[in-house]
Amino acid sequence: MPDEKSHPTMSEQGESASVNRREFLSSATVAGLAAASVGTADKAAAQQVASNESAPGALPPTALQEAMESDVPEGYSADQAREYFVRNPGSDFMVDMIKRLGLDYITTNPGSSFRGIHESIVNYGGNQAPELLTCVHEEQAAAMAHGYYKVTGRPLGVLCHGTVGLQHASMAVYNAWCDRTPMILLAGNHLDATERRAGVEWSHSAQDCVRVVRDYIKWDDTPFSLQHFAESMARAYRIAMTPPMGPVAVVIDGHLQEGEVGDHAHELLPVTPVQPPVGDEAAIAEAARWLVEAESPVIVADLMAHDQEGVERLVALAEALQAPVVNQYGRMNFPNTHYLSQGAGAVAQADVVLGLELFDTWGVINTLRDRVHRDAVRRVRPDARVISIGTSDLFTKSNYQSFQRYYPSDLAIAGDAQATLPILTDAVLSSMLRARRATNAERESRWRDAHAQARELALNDARYGWDASPVSTSRLYAELWNVVKDRDWALVSDDNMQSRWARRLWPIDRHYQYIGRAGGAGLGYGAPAAVGAALAHRAEGRMAVNVQRDGDMMYTPGAFWTAAYHGIPLLTVTHNNQGYHQEFMHLQRMAARRQRGIDGSSWVGNELRNPDIDLARIAGAMGVWSEGPITDPEDLGPALARAVEVVDGGEPAFVDVRCQPR
Amino acid sequence: MNLNRRFSLSPGRGMLVMSLWALGTAVAFPQEPDDDEDTREGRALYESHQCWQCHGYEGQGSVAGVRIAPTLYPYEAFAVLVRHTNLMPAYSPNVLSEAQLRQIYAFVLSIPEPPPLEEIPELDFD
Ligand code: HEC
Repeated sequence: MPDEKSHPTMSEQGESASVNRREFLSSATVAGLAAASVGTADKAAAQQVASNESAPGALPPTALQEAMESDVPEGYSADQAREYFVRNPGSDFMVDMIKRLGLDYITTNPGSSFRGIHESIVNYGGNQAPELLTCVHEEQAAAMAHGYYKVTGRPLGVLCHGTVGLQHASMAVYNAWCDRTPMILLAGNHLDATERRAGVEWSHSAQDCVRVVRDYIKWDDTPFSLQHFAESMARAYRIAMTPPMGPVAVVIDGHLQEGEVGDHAHELLPVTPVQPPVGDEAAIAEAARWLVEAESPVIVADLMAHDQEGVERLVALAEALQAPVVNQYGRMNFPNTHYLSQGAGAVAQADVVLGLELFDTWGVINTLRDRVHRDAVRRVRPDARVISIGTSDLFTKSNYQSFQRYYPSDLAIAGDAQATLPILTDAVLSSMLRARRATNAERESRWRDAHAQARELALNDARYGWDASPVSTSRLYAELWNVVKDRDWALVSDDNMQSRWARRLWPIDRHYQYIGRAGGAGLGYGAPAAVGAALAHRAEGRMAVNVQRDGDMMYTPGAFWTAAYHGIPLLTVTHNNQGYHQEFMHLQRMAARRQRGIDGSSWVGNELRNPDIDLARIAGAMGVWSEGPITDPEDLGPALARAVEVVDGGEPAFVDVRCQPR
Repeated sequence: MNLNRRFSLSPGRGMLVMSLWALGTAVAFPQEPDDDEDTREGRALYESHQCWQCHGYEGQGSVAGVRIAPTLYPYEAFAVLVRHTNLMPAYSPNVLSEAQLRQIYAFVLSIPEPPPLEEIPELDFD
């Protein structure tokens, strides 16, 4: 939420950073100058003064000219001062507006197209709220914002060149789009061709720089004036934060940043949050009836819970119905310690399926086998009815196909599922007759048994390959658990590529303990998203744990430097299988299908060996404490214990572990 | 044990496997690895034909492929499952000969049981 109290504009702030500006204000001639000032507490008065003073025509000197005349540095003529110095740069106003949005940080890789605002953030804004985070690649910068949001629910700004920066950032923006994560891209550009410096400034300018990411952001604008900027920022924030959430972009023109604010009184706009859309009441009542009447209702949740409140709302609904919940872990939606937390197999028996913010409804009901003929097989009973609640129909785009295959749910309700749940739960409780309620005890005991059995099976499965080298992924998570279990921990990576051992072994009951996946499955998300999430956990004193895949790490290893530079504690352990393992399997499938076999050569194009990549040295070279590669599972526990000590000291630590493929 | 786990088979294939398993139980079940060279060759084939990608180097299984070791299948059932598959790529005799598959089977048979849960303190989650 925007918070003007914790993020005051500079003119509302205390002494330090705004001294120059205050001196300027106090030394300037009163009335006219007030019109040039921005965002002050007495802005309204200033405007009034300005309008009283305003005179038609160009004859009287403008406020700015007056100010310049009266405050020329010693040794300069007024003309020289105008030539050399800017008194009230447009980017200061931009910073005031950005502060209204309550962005904690802005991730950036520096660039000349936004040097104006860079300076304003540092000097005028005091590099606080937002503080700049130095990144070594824009993909990293955007992915950090992605990870940060999923822990805090607050978006970050991402400041980059509109041209080369957005191109670098585009992969991470796409992931965020698929993962419904908001961020505010601020893209530097020089639109006025007659003002561009020769050479690079031309290569770093575009007519329409956002075009490169427009297919996978919700909205963008190219403000033509500072007031236009203020409105666009407020609008951008609201659009980004209204479900389905997503990235937005605002172009910050170099000329607007670097030039004088000018004579116009600019207004800093309040940023009001939008309440999320809630499903239609009659449709919810109908859904409640279906669920209550069902013999075997099953709830499936994916990109659902925005925070712990969402988790608790889902627990309330599931308990009211005594219905199992299949968590697809796009977010942490439901405690895996709860007896109603069940595996995907539960769906097969369902007569009513309730899908909450599903990324892929079709894929819950069907499966498409990867054979020569890609045949679809229905996974649920033929008579099962499907209710879907979610925001995916409210906004989408055409080109990139992340919206998945069409599924005609029997009852489709547009609305934010978390916001809709309390109404649905009330409707369920009020339509549940005593006879139905009486069946709850039996349902509960059935699901308690199933939950206990699944737990037993998971622990039993974890034994297999226990002493293997490379280290088994179950052992990796078991050893990790032993070093984090007595702390307030949070996993900042997903476990999909490690056979889902975190969710099978670790008790996960807080929303912040698991932040879902990349979204678009674009590599390069892991390390920076983990660092962004760890930064969010730092403020809460939590131990952030990142299980880092080797292939993913090679895209954006620089994130570890940012963690070291900004003192972000993070325990990283690699799942290093020395290759692009998913592609090994695809190559194998093709070779088997064509009856040619691959007989050892599936390493071609897929391996990350020969030479082996020394991931610990990469991290170490960037100032991160590191150890490895560990190949003997017996060495893992002690290495983790040493790493945890480093993290406890407020620094990142990195342990490279050679692991089984999955 | 492996056979207790539910796996998704088409009804026809499932029956075929189960009847082969019953046959195996009656005849020679489970077969002991008696030839170290077969086991060694089998490991090499298991690696070069990439069974480990989905089943792990120790046959421990993963999200990409179920656990296959230790196994109670007789060779005949094992072979049906490798050649007539559901989600796994089917390995035809043109890719893996019967002799090679038998060697892989010998290797899979040789993989020992892991330590029991009580002997693994890291898995004591209570
Ligand atoms: C691309 C992944 C992949 C590869 C490579 C692979 N498998 Fe499989 N395997 C699977 C999957 C998935 C299953 C689960 C059954 C199914 O749906 O086909 C399976 C099942 C099996 C089974 C039956 C297990 C059971 O209890 O149902 C056996 C035996 C087996 N595989 C052996 C092998 C051998 C031997 C190789 C190498 C020659 C191999 N697999 C290579 C994915 C793979």
